[in-house]
Amino acid sequence: MPRFAPTAITGLGSLSGAGLTLPESMESMFRGERHPHPPTRFSTDHPVSYLVLELRDSFKLPLDESENIYSRTCQLAFVAALEALTQAGWDSETLRGKRVGVCIGTTVGCALNSDDFYRAYKEGSHPDIRIMQRFMRSNPAAVIARQLRLDGPVQSVVNACSSGTDAIGIGASWLRADACDIVIAGGADELLRLTYSGFSSLMITDSQPCRPFDVSRKGLNLGEGAGLLVLESEAVRGEKELLGTVLGYGSACDAYHLTAPHPDGVGLKLALNEAFTAAGVTPADIAFVNAHGTGTPDNDRVEGRVLSEVLPGVPFLSTKGYTGHTLGAAGGIEAAFTVAFLQRGEIPANIGFTDPDPELLSTPVTGNTVIDGTIALSESLAFGGNNAVLIFGKGDH
Amino acid sequence: MRIGIQGVGLTGGFGSGVDSLQAALQSGKVVTQQREALHNGEVDIYPAYLASLDRLEEFIPKRALRRIDHCSRMTLLAAHLALQDAGMPESERSRIGVIIASGYGPLQTTCDFLDSYLDFGYACSSPTHFSNSVHNAAAAHLSMQLKTTAPSLTVTQFEMSVPSALLTAQQWLIEGRVDRLLFGAVDEQCEVLRYCRRQFFAAGEQGPLQPLAFSTQSAVVGEGAVFLLLTRDEVAAYGHIDEVRLGNHSVAPLSLSDDDLLILGADGHKECGRWYTQAARGHEVAAYAPFYGSFPAAAGFDLAVAALSLRDNRLYPGLASTGASTLTAATPGELNGRKLACLKFGSAGEYGLTRMSR
Repeated sequence: MPRFAPTAITGLGSLSGAGLTLPESMESMFRGERHPHPPTRFSTDHPVSYLVLELRDSFKLPLDESENIYSRTCQLAFVAALEALTQAGWDSETLRGKRVGVCIGTTVGCALNSDDFYRAYKEGSHPDIRIMQRFMRSNPAAVIARQLRLDGPVQSVVNACSSGTDAIGIGASWLRADACDIVIAGGADELLRLTYSGFSSLMITDSQPCRPFDVSRKGLNLGEGAGLLVLESEAVRGEKELLGTVLGYGSACDAYHLTAPHPDGVGLKLALNEAFTAAGVTPADIAFVNAHGTGTPDNDRVEGRVLSEVLPGVPFLSTKGYTGHTLGAAGGIEAAFTVAFLQRGEIPANIGFTDPDPELLSTPVTGNTVIDGTIALSESLAFGGNNAVLIFGKGDH
Repeated sequence: MRIGIQGVGLTGGFGSGVDSLQAALQSGKVVTQQREALHNGEVDIYPAYLASLDRLEEFIPKRALRRIDHCSRMTLLAAHLALQDAGMPESERSRIGVIIASGYGPLQTTCDFLDSYLDFGYACSSPTHFSNSVHNAAAAHLSMQLKTTAPSLTVTQFEMSVPSALLTAQQWLIEGRVDRLLFGAVDEQCEVLRYCRRQFFAAGEQGPLQPLAFSTQSAVVGEGAVFLLLTRDEVAAYGHIDEVRLGNHSVAPLSLSDDDLLILGADGHKECGRWYTQAARGHEVAAYAPFYGSFPAAAGFDLAVAALSLRDNRLYPGLASTGASTLTAATPGELNGRKLACLKFGSAGEYGLTRMSR
């Protein structure tokens, strides 16, 4: 695996339960705010109400408020894309004639998972076929490309909860291959009854605010949102402000279990090693780690052990206490956060953590913490045994 | 850098294995199966190209297949057939990368999961169906069966899933992320999909499939899985992938080389047909969807047909029902060193062009 040239980041966009824009999310996280609550967009007959982090009520879907034409996931992706493109100085007009790729990670955004449609079908009636037409229109990467009339590679990555991280790594590789000049990359996912029920069935959701890496952690809080980056070739970027760089990407599969991580973190260690090699850096160069940190017993045990073994003493945090676990969006949102933290020179507290787990040799940061360094790492673990790691460098400021 | 195709494995309406595909291409015969679906008291009888799993137990014990769904089973069979075709011993499989393209993912398992809570209440949601309903479950099962810890990726882009995923596969090999890669495509048929297609297309789903009759809706549903074992080697058992290009013809028109001999991903969907007539005018074309049916992953079968044609130095004939066309149907026979290009269009003008050579 060779070392790669850094890829320029010129735009960042994010929306989640932490905030409707990246600056708003940053401010709320550094104020230590979080707003988990029972789901309001759907109901179930679950005997226990698990907490989630939804977008604020004031959020309006930009393309189709009634969600008849495009799925919510696609519209979340589009909002984050517009925020990132605006920061990078692009719009649909100035992008015309450029080779622009779109690589978006998602989990539910590409699944035929409408329970309203399926319930009607099961009951023998004729379900509203417009729901199916919406599904066929609602591939997140394709929607961004069509809305902005882009010409270039388009890909929706469905690697479960590492999808957003993988999408950014893949998008950067397209620039290296000269398959395009600009890439919009990241992740998006909406909150659905289907995922709420699925994660509940696995008994890894929490009825209290989640507690990543805490000894009393019980599970995750689901969330929704999108996080996207604009990546540019140096030829296109020119003198434009550099917000950060993608220095390295690595991924590996545990080949162990469909939903549980390998107890020794085999795949995560391989992914870390590949990312270090690609970036040409060592663990000693890492200023902080934005961990996956879902708050489930298994994930945090494995991740905590690997962090203490591979990156001993390096400050780390999980931002899922602020955003919830946004599944395919998580890697994109956390990538945007990681670059923004590097710019700010500070990381927020790992909210929800109070008591260390004696099984883990290291603990996350418990307050807003000034960081020392210019390189940071964001990692994602996923169903299917996928592990993905991105290493970012600080930009001009 | 060219990517070598060292092995092909597949299962579809024509049978399982590259020999079955070759036999179908040589004989010009594939028989669709008649399926029945009951909805609202009405029996719906329709033709379909359905995959066979008869050979799966050659590779994986029955016991190990418990809790593995149909989509993943097709995946496992096709991937093992590709490894067998390439003559790759088990000792060399632990660092094989996996990339899978799927237009719809595990449809039936998603329905099974919905059944679990719609029938029995949310507290009875099935964790097994949920964990198998994620799109990358098939890739995960494959990595676990092969015990490969190399990178794994699943891509879904409806009709464009295959060329989109192939671009990343090519890049992984070029950059040295993996030395060998199982590149696959899979989609399954299920009754809900049939219901939807019937609502959309009505009698246009009854066949016969006429891929070059672009003004006629003639799609016939299919399912299957196909895998290519790819390496960076200059010596390739089948041929090479020279270029993968993606774009949107409606934004920046696709320009083809004068000598491009095109294998079209046309599969009887009228909505996509107009793009082929625009972009491929003046070129010799062939289309093979009547051998495996209409489904997003079928673009992977087009790659397999191209690989087989390059290996055998022979352009295989399409079926007689290919249909009248405004384009020039290529003459079957020896290729004599000619290159092939697989062209797939989506409904909004998105295209994927894969150039291949011996």
